[in-house]
Amino acid sequence: MDELEAIKVTFFQECEELLADLEGGLLAMQDGNDDGDTVNAVFRAVHSIKGGAGAFGLEPLVRFAHVFETLLDAVRSNEVPATPDLVVTLLRASDVLADHVSSARGLGVVDEAVSAAMAAELKACTDPNAAPAPVAAPVVEAAAFEAAPVAAAPAEALIGADDALDDDDLGFDFQPMTITIDEQAADVAAAVGNVWTVSIRPKSDLYRKANETALLLRELARLGPIEATLDASAIPPLDLLDAEAAYATWTVRLETEEDETAIREVFEFVDGDCDLEITRGEGLNPDAALAALLAGEAPAAAPAAPVAVAEIPAPVVVEAAPEPVAVAPVVEAAPAPVAAPVAQAAPVAAAPAAAKTQQIDVPGPGQSVIRVDPERIDRLIDLVGELVINQAMLAQRVGEYGIAPSSNLAMGLDELEQLTREIQDSVMAIRAQPVKSVFQRMPRLVREVASMTGKQARLVMDGENTEVDKTVIERLSDPITHMLRNAIDHGLESPEERKAAGKNPEGVVRLAALHRSGRIVIEVSDDGKGINRERVHSIAIKKGLISPELQLTDEEIDNLIFLPGFSTADKISDVSGRGVGMDVVKRSVQALGGRISITSRPGQGSTFTLSLPLTLAVLDGMVVDVAGETLVVPLAAIVESLRPKPEEVRPLGPVGSVLAVRDSFVPLIDVGLTLGYREASPPPTEGVVLLVEGEDGSRAALVADAIHGQRQVVIKSLEQNYQQVDGVAAATILGDGRVALILDVDAVISLRRREPPRPVEPTLIAAE
Amino acid sequence: MTVLSLPETLDLKASGPLKAAFLERRGDAVEVDAGNVRRLGGLCLQVLLAAKTAWAADGKSFSIRAPSEAFVETTRLFGAEGALLSADIHGVQS
Repeated sequence: MDELEAIKVTFFQECEELLADLEGGLLAMQDGNDDGDTVNAVFRAVHSIKGGAGAFGLEPLVRFAHVFETLLDAVRSNEVPATPDLVVTLLRASDVLADHVSSARGLGVVDEAVSAAMAAELKACTDPNAAPAPVAAPVVEAAAFEAAPVAAAPAEALIGADDALDDDDLGFDFQPMTITIDEQAADVAAAVGNVWTVSIRPKSDLYRKANETALLLRELARLGPIEATLDASAIPPLDLLDAEAAYATWTVRLETEEDETAIREVFEFVDGDCDLEITRGEGLNPDAALAALLAGEAPAAAPAAPVAVAEIPAPVVVEAAPEPVAVAPVVEAAPAPVAAPVAQAAPVAAAPAAAKTQQIDVPGPGQSVIRVDPERIDRLIDLVGELVINQAMLAQRVGEYGIAPSSNLAMGLDELEQLTREIQDSVMAIRAQPVKSVFQRMPRLVREVASMTGKQARLVMDGENTEVDKTVIERLSDPITHMLRNAIDHGLESPEERKAAGKNPEGVVRLAALHRSGRIVIEVSDDGKGINRERVHSIAIKKGLISPELQLTDEEIDNLIFLPGFSTADKISDVSGRGVGMDVVKRSVQALGGRISITSRPGQGSTFTLSLPLTLAVLDGMVVDVAGETLVVPLAAIVESLRPKPEEVRPLGPVGSVLAVRDSFVPLIDVGLTLGYREASPPPTEGVVLLVEGEDGSRAALVADAIHGQRQVVIKSLEQNYQQVDGVAAATILGDGRVALILDVDAVISLRRREPPRPVEPTLIAAE
Repeated sequence: MTVLSLPETLDLKASGPLKAAFLERRGDAVEVDAGNVRRLGGLCLQVLLAAKTAWAADGKSFSIRAPSEAFVETTRLFGAEGALLSADIHGVQS
């Protein structure tokens, strides 16, 4: 029973892949790619699920898959046109199918009403004129239905063959033949020129590596006409049979103009996994064949157990070809000549065509994947982190001794740093994964949310292969889900509204991932109505989130939706607006060291931009001194550093001041004041200014007391070890063993922005 | 009489389930529906041959009905159609 369970697990794993293929194919169809291959792939996915489910007796799944498949078959044969509406229906059907799979797996229950309605809809699409039929169709019935379209062709072929068979049966009856050795020898000698005997003994490894004897035989058939003789004598009784072990062997007679090298090339990919013997001429060798004949046994190539000889026509062979069947005496003596006429009925083109499709499925050799316990990698990453810290400490000590940078020791240290960095990059690359795993769950979400809210939405995805650290990926799902829901529920208008506004009734939601200056950026945008700023502003005031007299820029109003307790939905909808708003998203993003922002254009839509570090492990930073504390400013945020001249600093308001940088003014922010290290700012001209750029492109000039230099630091999470602190992204351990805080540049900029223009009380770190 | 519907793909992964499916039906006459089969591999061929031998030993009927084109073609390629199909193609006419 355990074995069966294990098989079931495999089946469900395959189902996951097949469902993903199905969805991918349908989405491709939606984008107008409805060529035969795509439609076939979609059909196959459903068909495979049905087939597997049938083997396990998963009735409801089989029933639904069958109805689904019937429609797809009609689409495939162009009986039903693949209109955009139909594809939308098919996509919804794929969701119901996924539910059936989950239900069969014991995860959740299928809504029978939904499933039955969907099935009825599919049936109606398949045959609009048919009277609605009851949904129930047992497995057997399903299979019988299946036989109609798929098996029709061979049935005809075989009926024809059967007739021929009756005629030929007499001629092929077992009759003792008188064979003279001379004749035999002469025939053999004549045939030896371009006849080869290939003995194939697959080992279990051949199958285990996803290779296939059938494929080898097909490949051989490309070289010339083949006759395969199966030796099934080694196959044990069914109950003792290891389903994954190789028992059967084949002896193939091949007629070809090609040489031995060409024949060997067929077996190139199974080298070592298959015992191979290639001899020129008939049988193992002519002498052996003759000796066998002389001894009155079955021919060497055709042993006693279930045996048959088949003639597979090479692509060029037609029925009228002069050398079918009876060229070799061995074949005539074989016990199952029945095969010959049937074989000739086989469609000539079938062999090469089938060979072509099968080839694709065989993975190239040498592609191996190692599965590693993630804990081991995490440990490795920790250790590399320690190595980086240790290397930094060493460098600092050496620096303290005043050793010349050109000395061997200093140069050796530089090399060590280089190596450390390379090791670090390599270790990080191990954990990097494409965001695809998260993205592929989203199309269904969009469909569901759209149907729940009565909106029409199409998801466009971009950059699914962008790689990011595994720890980041795992925590991306929730924010993206929420942002997408939000985009459809609040962003997109209803189809009627869109029509009235002169837009396509179907809204487009775009989900994109890209790398930007050492971070991963996820963008969720919609082409909806954009943020209603007036309403957002008034709600924020009504809820006491901001003071009424505060003048805000458009951008600042947009970002009000991230404030805790903000929700614009007039009524709580099923989809979003259950009290968990964008502030939750923002917090979870910040916990990852990320930032989230929104830009919106009335009538044109909104874009949420989520920016996260590629890794949560290391960071390049500038080490600065502020009010006696050592801080690290992420290098990615720093545009330049400068020492301001008195004439460049201009006061603004009661306490604020700006810095003139070239042709623009940039607000001056004293980091010590903002973080609460000191109560009054020293004149900016006494310190150093770091010109930084926030994620949204806004600039600010951060004032620090001194710069110590640039360093790579290992990030130690503050949230995990303490709690989140506004303005601080994380902490690190410096070369001298001291803890330094890593500045969250965006937070520092927005902290200042949010504060009304009055003296700031140092409440941030001191609080709690 | 029980019916065993063969899946579309009879490859490495299918051979175990196929064997299990046959073992479950041991003792009953069985009709193997090969209409869905698109791919038949060596391992599943072995299971089919062993099953047929087992059913013959039990004196129960074992038939393959409505084999798909791919099934017939591959069985023939394997040189196994005499062993698997010849006596049992009755399903084809239906």
